[in-house]
Amino acid sequence: MSDQLDSFLDDYFAEAEEHLAVIRRALLILEQSIGRPRPDAANLEELFRSFHSLKGIAGMVDHRETETLAHELESYLRAIREGDTAINTAGMDALIKGAGTLEASIAARRANAPAVDTAAIAAELRGFAAATPSDARADAPVAIAANCSCIFTPSPALIARGINVDVVRARLREIGEIISAAPMITSQGAVAFQFAVRGTLTDEQAAAWRNDGMAFSAIAPGSAIGPTASEDSGAAAGAILSSGHYVRVDLARLDELMRMIGNLVILRSRLNDTVERSERHLPAAHYRAMQDDAEAIERELRELREGVMRVRLVPVGEIFRRMPFMVRDLARETGRSVNVVMSGHDTKIDKFLVERMMDPVLHIVRNAVSHGVESPEERQASGKPLAATLRLGASASGETVVIEIADDGRGIDAERVAARARLVGLPVPSGPLDNATLLELISAPGFSTRDKSDRVSGRGFGMNVVRETLQELGGRMQLETERGHGTRFIIELPLTLAITAAMLARVGDQVFAIPQASVREVAEIEAASIRALQGSEIVEFRGAPLPVVRLSSALGCRETPLDRFHAFVVGSGAAAVGILVDRIVGHREIVVRATSDPLIRVDAVTGATDLGDGRAVLILDVAAIARQARDRGARRGLAVVKDIA
Amino acid sequence: MSAENYILFTIAGTSYALPSQDVAHVEMVEQITRVPNAPAFVDGVVFSRGQVVPAINMRARFGFERAPLDVSSRLLVVQSRGRSVGLLVDACREFMTVPESAVHPPGEALSGLSAQYVEGVASVGDRLIVLLGLERLLGSTEHAVAAGA
Amino acid sequence: MVKVALAPLAMETVEAASGLEAIERLAVAPINLMVLDLNMPDMHGLEVLGFVRANQKFHNIPIIVLTTRDDAASRDAAAQAGATRYLTKPFKPEALLTEARQVLDAPVPGAR
Repeated sequence: MSDQLDSFLDDYFAEAEEHLAVIRRALLILEQSIGRPRPDAANLEELFRSFHSLKGIAGMVDHRETETLAHELESYLRAIREGDTAINTAGMDALIKGAGTLEASIAARRANAPAVDTAAIAAELRGFAAATPSDARADAPVAIAANCSCIFTPSPALIARGINVDVVRARLREIGEIISAAPMITSQGAVAFQFAVRGTLTDEQAAAWRNDGMAFSAIAPGSAIGPTASEDSGAAAGAILSSGHYVRVDLARLDELMRMIGNLVILRSRLNDTVERSERHLPAAHYRAMQDDAEAIERELRELREGVMRVRLVPVGEIFRRMPFMVRDLARETGRSVNVVMSGHDTKIDKFLVERMMDPVLHIVRNAVSHGVESPEERQASGKPLAATLRLGASASGETVVIEIADDGRGIDAERVAARARLVGLPVPSGPLDNATLLELISAPGFSTRDKSDRVSGRGFGMNVVRETLQELGGRMQLETERGHGTRFIIELPLTLAITAAMLARVGDQVFAIPQASVREVAEIEAASIRALQGSEIVEFRGAPLPVVRLSSALGCRETPLDRFHAFVVGSGAAAVGILVDRIVGHREIVVRATSDPLIRVDAVTGATDLGDGRAVLILDVAAIARQARDRGARRGLAVVKDIA
Repeated sequence: MSAENYILFTIAGTSYALPSQDVAHVEMVEQITRVPNAPAFVDGVVFSRGQVVPAINMRARFGFERAPLDVSSRLLVVQSRGRSVGLLVDACREFMTVPESAVHPPGEALSGLSAQYVEGVASVGDRLIVLLGLERLLGSTEHAVAAGA
Repeated sequence: MVKVALAPLAMETVEAASGLEAIERLAVAPINLMVLDLNMPDMHGLEVLGFVRANQKFHNIPIIVLTTRDDAASRDAAAQAGATRYLTKPFKPEALLTEARQVLDAPVPGAR
């Protein structure tokens, strides 16, 4: 559990650092505008948002000093932004001191050092902002202005923490306008206060305030407020406003739940087997009742599994969230001008995919801005708009999610790629390079190496990491690029991991998985009833001859002498074949992993799965095995005789 | 480049090396799942970082007798042209920077199956390290598969 | 002002700057006496009074209301709303103290 907290904190520190970087830069720019009638609006906006975001994340990890200080900084920024106050030297000093204290506070937390005193500077900032009326405008970048109700339930504990109804009122005022406020008695007979607020509230904020006895619920959806970058109509307005009914869940818990569900599935099938076997010992009514219950359990289990999997789905927008900031920084550094256009960020994918794709997408975007985008002069010279456009889009179709990163920059220079590839010793085909080959080359390990330490660690770098990650996730990537026009990366990811129902069978000392879909029937075959017929083997099954194949010989496994085998009947009619295994040992849903390397590309195997212990279990293509056996028989010049005596 | 970084490993008493940039990571081996009808030197597959990776038994590959897995056995997961392949070796413990000047062409000193995969031999101090070429190592195996299929 | 006046009572006095705060105070800790100014920024004192009295829990707390008006109608309204005593501002500290002592020592007022 502390591991989870640690990684959560790591995220906090990482994100805080990003915001602090923006803040540092923006403060410098602000300083230059002292004395001028109106400071740079975009810069103020950025500064304001950074403080606001810091406040939010600090609240999430309960880093109170930082949260409060960020709040004061944000308020002061708001006042400046509104034009209620002009920034003067004293105020600037306060801001710089405040930002510095913020940094120190976070660093202290990180080093587990005693907390930095933020009260003094916070009060000072409050003073600077105090002259200004609180604003009623919406502020958060990814929230929605709406009417909502906030019910605050006071308690001695909250009072002790300094949270009383006045504080609540102040908070509500800062996110919007209080339309009404009244005391009420809750259903439990306690005193509470109900506020109707028109304002903007982020999920994080609502979650953080929930701990302070403030419960939010939506009254009516309102209009969407766009993020820092312009947004296509893919965004869904409304219904994102937090209702205070959210719980944060860590992924480990969900995985645990999935594991337990997996166990339940196995137990259920065992129960099923027992029920079947008990048929002859039970009165018909009892047996039917048990069967019904078993079926009901199966249905519930399936829904449970799907429900848990749905909990893991989060909007792809999580990945896109940071891009505008990063792009802005990078563009500024390199003297470029870039507009970020995002679409489809509500598309949902598994949280695990979001976490793994964050870095790869960041990398591609960084590349696009640093290398793909030309300087404004170059762009003008080629008749392009001064500002480049970077498009980030996500969409879902069927079982895949498609993420696109496109720019209208200079496109990838195939000559340079070829030269670089040759330089690092990669084989380069002759003739013009197509998009697929280009992608292959830039994703090859060694293509982009930065310094020794990376190579020593044996780590691939740059696009190679992107490819590796995609492989791991079962996704793939395509490149489209045109000299002078731009570049487009198209990434496909599985919406959910490929899961299929399978039966598990033991042959010799190995367990195999057979997809249920390929099995028509399961039977028990007595060894004694197997007849040899000119090199093949046959049993009588349901009054007809059924060719059988011993999986042990087909796969070269150890043959176990048994009196009785289990068999999978595959195919139908004249093509039916019985595949003999030692024992069917289970039946469960498995996650299918590809076995694509040529070294292990074998007809009989279509993939592998992990049953939970990290060992690879092969998934068999029983149809192919049956076919092979039949062909072997045919090659020996035999025909299967239909009638047997 | 005047020097390159290598990862060193031992197979049947001889030290070999691969450029560290080709090696994604090194793992301890727990269980290798046998794959039927795979080439003889492919012990099977393992799961590595969620991916199915073939495990080549390097002793078998170089014509040595197989040895049972022990605590020092390692699987080097290498990457080449989009493929991830595991190389099962006796031990793998070292990194080494080898200056170009220390590398010599293979010559006739080496014989056996391994010779075809050797890029060069490095003398570092009083040690002789055989530098392997990954492309050839994995490339040749492709042909072997075609023949055995 | 009120705090100073009631100091001799040797009771812990909690101040609230608004109607909602006043209600909050009542809700979170046991209160023996409430001095309520009818003129408050967010809620009129009578509203507070009404809410408080409507709650069984706070039915019997002695409440002294302070107001600038001294006409009969206002007094009546306060009484109707549930005020125990009525005092006009500006008031002498001793007057408040006397009222306070009286309501605190008095037997529990009858149900409204």
